[in-house]
Amino acid sequence: MWNPLTRRNLFGSVANGFCGAALASLLSRDVYGAEAAPSGPRVFDLKPRQPHFDPKAKSVIHLFMNGGPSQMDLFDPKPVLTKHHGEAYFDKVAADLTGPEQAGGLMKSPFQFAQYGQSGMWVSELMPHLAKHVDKLCLVRSMFTAHPNHEPALFQIHSGRTIPGRPSLGSWVVYGLGSENQSLPAYVVLDDPLGLPVNGPQNWQAGFLPPVYQGTRIRTNGSPILNLRPEREEPAAMVAAARGLLSRLDEIHKRNHPGQLRLDARISSYELAARLQVEASDALDVSKESDATRQAYGIGEDATDSYGRRCLMARRLVERGVRFVQLYINGQIWDHHNQLERGMRSASERTDKPVAALLQDLKERGMLDNTLVIWGGEFGRMPIAQLEGGLKNAGRDHNPRGFSLWMAGGGVKPGLTYGSTDDLGYEAVENKVSVADWHATVLHLIGMDYQRLVFDDNGLKEKLTSQFEAKVVKAILA
Amino acid sequence: MRLVVLACLPFAVHAQTFEADIVPILKSKCYQCHNAKVKTKDLNLTSLDGVFKGGESGPAVVPGQRDDSVLYRLVSSGKMPPGPTPLTAKEIAALGAWIDSGARSASPSAARKVTQHDVIPLLLLHCRSRHGAQKREAGLDVRTKASLLKGGKSGPAIVLAKPEESLAIQKLRAGTMPPKAGLLNAGVKPMSAAEIDKLASWIAQGGPEVALEPDIAGTAADPLVTSNDRQFWSFRPPKASPAPRVRNAAQVRNPIDAFILQKLEAKGSALSPATGKLTLIRRATFDLTGLPPDPQRVKTFLADARPKAYDELIDELLASSAYGEKWGRHWLDVAGYSDSEGGKLSADLPRANAWRYRDYVIRALNADKPYDRFLLEQIAGDELADYEHAPVMTPELADNLIATGFLRMAGDSTSEREVNFTEDRLDVIADEIEVLTSGVMGFTMKCARCHTHKYDPIPHRDYYRLAALLKGAYDEHDWITPVTTDRYGKYFPGRFLPYVEPGLTPFQALEREREREASDRELQEQVKALNTELKEKQEPVKKKILEQRLLASVPKELHEQLRTVFATPSAKRTEAQEAIAGKYEKILKIDAEDAKQADPAFRLQAEDLEKRIKLTEAKRIPEPKIRALWDRGDPSPTYILLRGSAASFGPPVHPGPPAVLMDGRAPFEIKAPWPGAKKTGRRLAFARALVRPDHPLTARVMVNRIWRHHFRTGIVKSLGNFGKAGVPPTHPELLDWLSTEFVRQGWRMKAMHRLMMTSNTYRQGSQLTPDLERVDPENKLLGRMPLRRLEAEEVADAMLQVAGRLDRSPFGPPDPVIARRDGLVTPLATEKGWRRSIYVNQRRTEMPSLFESFDLPAMNPACLDRTESIVATQALHLLNNGMVDDLARYFADRVKREAGTDPARQIDHAYSLAIGRAPNQEERAASLEALEKFSGIDGPGALRKLCHTLLNSASFLYID
Repeated sequence: MWNPLTRRNLFGSVANGFCGAALASLLSRDVYGAEAAPSGPRVFDLKPRQPHFDPKAKSVIHLFMNGGPSQMDLFDPKPVLTKHHGEAYFDKVAADLTGPEQAGGLMKSPFQFAQYGQSGMWVSELMPHLAKHVDKLCLVRSMFTAHPNHEPALFQIHSGRTIPGRPSLGSWVVYGLGSENQSLPAYVVLDDPLGLPVNGPQNWQAGFLPPVYQGTRIRTNGSPILNLRPEREEPAAMVAAARGLLSRLDEIHKRNHPGQLRLDARISSYELAARLQVEASDALDVSKESDATRQAYGIGEDATDSYGRRCLMARRLVERGVRFVQLYINGQIWDHHNQLERGMRSASERTDKPVAALLQDLKERGMLDNTLVIWGGEFGRMPIAQLEGGLKNAGRDHNPRGFSLWMAGGGVKPGLTYGSTDDLGYEAVENKVSVADWHATVLHLIGMDYQRLVFDDNGLKEKLTSQFEAKVVKAILA
Repeated sequence: MRLVVLACLPFAVHAQTFEADIVPILKSKCYQCHNAKVKTKDLNLTSLDGVFKGGESGPAVVPGQRDDSVLYRLVSSGKMPPGPTPLTAKEIAALGAWIDSGARSASPSAARKVTQHDVIPLLLLHCRSRHGAQKREAGLDVRTKASLLKGGKSGPAIVLAKPEESLAIQKLRAGTMPPKAGLLNAGVKPMSAAEIDKLASWIAQGGPEVALEPDIAGTAADPLVTSNDRQFWSFRPPKASPAPRVRNAAQVRNPIDAFILQKLEAKGSALSPATGKLTLIRRATFDLTGLPPDPQRVKTFLADARPKAYDELIDELLASSAYGEKWGRHWLDVAGYSDSEGGKLSADLPRANAWRYRDYVIRALNADKPYDRFLLEQIAGDELADYEHAPVMTPELADNLIATGFLRMAGDSTSEREVNFTEDRLDVIADEIEVLTSGVMGFTMKCARCHTHKYDPIPHRDYYRLAALLKGAYDEHDWITPVTTDRYGKYFPGRFLPYVEPGLTPFQALEREREREASDRELQEQVKALNTELKEKQEPVKKKILEQRLLASVPKELHEQLRTVFATPSAKRTEAQEAIAGKYEKILKIDAEDAKQADPAFRLQAEDLEKRIKLTEAKRIPEPKIRALWDRGDPSPTYILLRGSAASFGPPVHPGPPAVLMDGRAPFEIKAPWPGAKKTGRRLAFARALVRPDHPLTARVMVNRIWRHHFRTGIVKSLGNFGKAGVPPTHPELLDWLSTEFVRQGWRMKAMHRLMMTSNTYRQGSQLTPDLERVDPENKLLGRMPLRRLEAEEVADAMLQVAGRLDRSPFGPPDPVIARRDGLVTPLATEKGWRRSIYVNQRRTEMPSLFESFDLPAMNPACLDRTESIVATQALHLLNNGMVDDLARYFADRVKREAGTDPARQIDHAYSLAIGRAPNQEERAASLEALEKFSGIDGPGALRKLCHTLLNSASFLYID
């Protein structure tokens, strides 16, 4: 009898590389079950791993709001801004404007705010559905970031620095925790059929982590995963016969290479490829939900159908043990340099109802306690008007100095409004939360210590927060 | 400099006082970050009050209790200060003694002297974009004291001793300079009040200047890097020891075997038996050329029983042009080669002339250019010979310049958008430093950008010395962007030098350029016409889709309105129309992909047109330019940036290599590369030092890299890190022997291939026996050849070759790819087929999906070593992808053509093409049986299915 081998050989060469492929990755299923190498190099797979401490959340749903949602029009009412509407403020903010020549005076929010729920959290008229769930939210009004341009700011919020090439938050999470479902990707990206966000697939890259930790883009129409189905359909019998031949040939090859566990892994990757077709299709099939559920998410309604489907798919994926799900909407739907009023109404209309339904659905199924839902963009907006098309069409320019973001579920204090910007909403001033702080906090919520979740990159112990000072924002933990 | 002063500080043993004993220490080591204005961590150490008050972490000093004093704890543990100048043992002792004795004070402290080094970097950072090297608005240049005194149109910028009369101070204080509205576009931030005060006090003091004292590595003792630091194995020059004696001398063909065998024998093991000739020729051919062996060559090799047959095979493979294409790719990984700019922004602009560098690498390797020369050209080709005044462009001069593309490969979006901060430029420079250090020198300096290296003797200072070496070409205060641009009112010259084909007279070159322009116009016209055709064909389909959507989901009364909006281009729409467009985006947004999905006939037409457009565009000959790196002769001074922050200056530094790589005796000398040269000669001096025969790292890093690509793992496993945080060599004596041998054989890479590949170690079998598994489960001792999967390019190129669709034309602009909306990216074929993967467009955001599935790395900034993953996407791609299916069909057609219709012969031939051997009995039986089954389902497609299965098989994808 052949001696049972250690698992080390299997991923020996995976374990020691440094570069990741840039895009595609799924999962490399571990075929050797519970047997773990007692020592030796770390095996890079997606088996569930022990967190550093008891986690509050087991999964994360990140609702990324590309463009820079305006804090003073959504979650951060500014009566002082209303009072000084029209006054000049250019000198104070000039150095931060991407379009200084279009700068107008201070601009009040065109929307009405009110307080909701037991917590009395302020929400503008733009989000009537979400307003019903404020007591589930933990709103941070004092976020700030480093760069006033979309791309670097997206890199920062996703991967900790303003440069490309670093692993995204989702990649770190699945690197740290693996996944509870070995037949679906651990880190799923649901992008909008209408188009990719800024930075495209670089938002879910694994950077220097092994490619197995990259986000897998699942399309919500057509073939959900690249090459999931044959480009040219063939009779099922032909497919089966070819599979039969391949496994026979691989079996012969394997027999001539005793002990080479990577050949077993290869064979199982072919088996998984076959299984994925079924599993992925099932997970994404929202027709299996009740009419009432689909309606709650706004499926079937023009404005909300697309985003509603993805929110519902997110729940179905998390339910199946997928660790990290990230949702995108096309382009930069929150980037309102002009026509702020119309644009924000439209963006809210498309997302408000589905997001509210997701919170309600998770709550009802008892999943909200161990699912962390995150809503936020890459930066905020200016208190002054941007006048690309005259006063009537006024918008707001980018503002990295202050923005709002909320989280719900998995371990955050519900109904809390944390931190604040100055009277005009320009700059975070009280209880400021940097992107690094936020990253450290998210990792904490899923049971990981941001200082211990490290990867050896050519001798450097890299971490999500990079070289930046960071702290877990204890005040927002439940 | 300051260090030297400190080393001579009189050390008081009498009753210490804050002013006499502590202030000097704090002043030089701590004030920069902890003063009245810049209170990092809310800590101000400039007064005793401040020290007692402390900062974020409480009082800095608790009198009488050194262990409770944060200041003492941080400096004694070396955690503070963050810069390159930790406190000396004496200083720490003085601080401790002072705290112990009650932390007493004597008299008020004196004001700190401000010098030009405190203000010039400020002016550079905040004013140089309009008053510097490239732009002198109002005639003003702020870069030196003299130019400030001279001033501009409105008179002198500064009046010594009279800050309030100085124009610069007036304008800065009034906030009119820098002009606020232009700040972001210029990529600068306003000066803080503290910074203006600093400038004012410098002027008030009469503008004192101190001379820059040389601090470069030389013969003087370096307080930061000691000779003890140089004792680490990889910082000592390699020393060859004779090949060891082994018991089983019969297994030794060359010294490599002796070194390997020695360690195996120590464990009671030996080399595995030699592998068969079939396996050997496949292994060697893939390793040297990245392609499967030609079946005919396999036959002659098998038939050739002479002992020299194998040596001749190696020579033949080394002489093949495919060698440079395979090994060039390994080097392009090191350089971070890309055909696009990448960087922080999203456009990922094409990098039009990068391919000349790619071709240079391939040609250099094929010519077996000595590695020392190869490095000299790539690091300092512009300083090797005077190209500007050369009467004619020689091939050598052209190579020198093209080679400098090596340090122009990092992602760089500084020409893309309005914001281009100094920080963005520093990030580009950091990436190039990373490529140079990790790739060529075998250690990383990334961390030293912000602080002294934690493991290796790389002080913070040395990163900036290296940055200063590059500054003649990479100057964050005199920036040139990848593409020439004058958008947003700033003008940046592009990173190009004109390319003149070697041998052409200026007149001929001009003629050539006219021809190129004419052909380019013609091709552009063709592209335009094709685009128009595509659009015309698309319109009716789109209209049809619109009608379907309207019927399905829009009330009838709105139809006409939506049709009008749809027909109106976005720019011409009224506001109301725009509002409708926004509301009905899902109805009105119909793109080419929708049209293709809706109408299969149109899909065929459109795909054909799209291919023709791409291929016509690919025929355009780019402008004759070289993406080069060249010294411009007038670099800004370099300052240590505290914590890597562009706005926090430390002391100035001179250019120089990392001190640990200097021997501590010979000084590092920089001189003009030729008399009268307008070049600093910095990089050339650095490159020459790097290729000294006794350099501790250069040869070691390269032979280790070559070893890695023959034996799958480096002798030092961490190819880019030979430092303390790297993996120690498994065979240090072998590494040293190979390094010295490499240099002795004239830095010839081909000699190294020959040496390694003719060893018995290379010729071993790959069988894993229980004995080997027990003795050496990770195969560190190399008692067998590791099994490996084909690399991404090998998978693609092998399939193409097997299918008879590989176009071997070399060089030139990259081949286009086509990106489908779902993200599938596929290289585009011409009528001659597909060229090798190295010639496919390497756009960062548009890499062919097959390459990505098979671990082609993203270049961020480069790739030191590739991974080999086993993931389901690979299976999905090979099973379901259309191009793979096409190739299987070509493969099947070829088999039919060459082997006739007999199934058994077809199978044998398919095997010999794809796997380089005949099938064994079992494989043949299984294949025959399957072929019969396939025929029963789909007669004409049966052989294609068999071929497709072979392309998916482990035998095809793995090399023994």
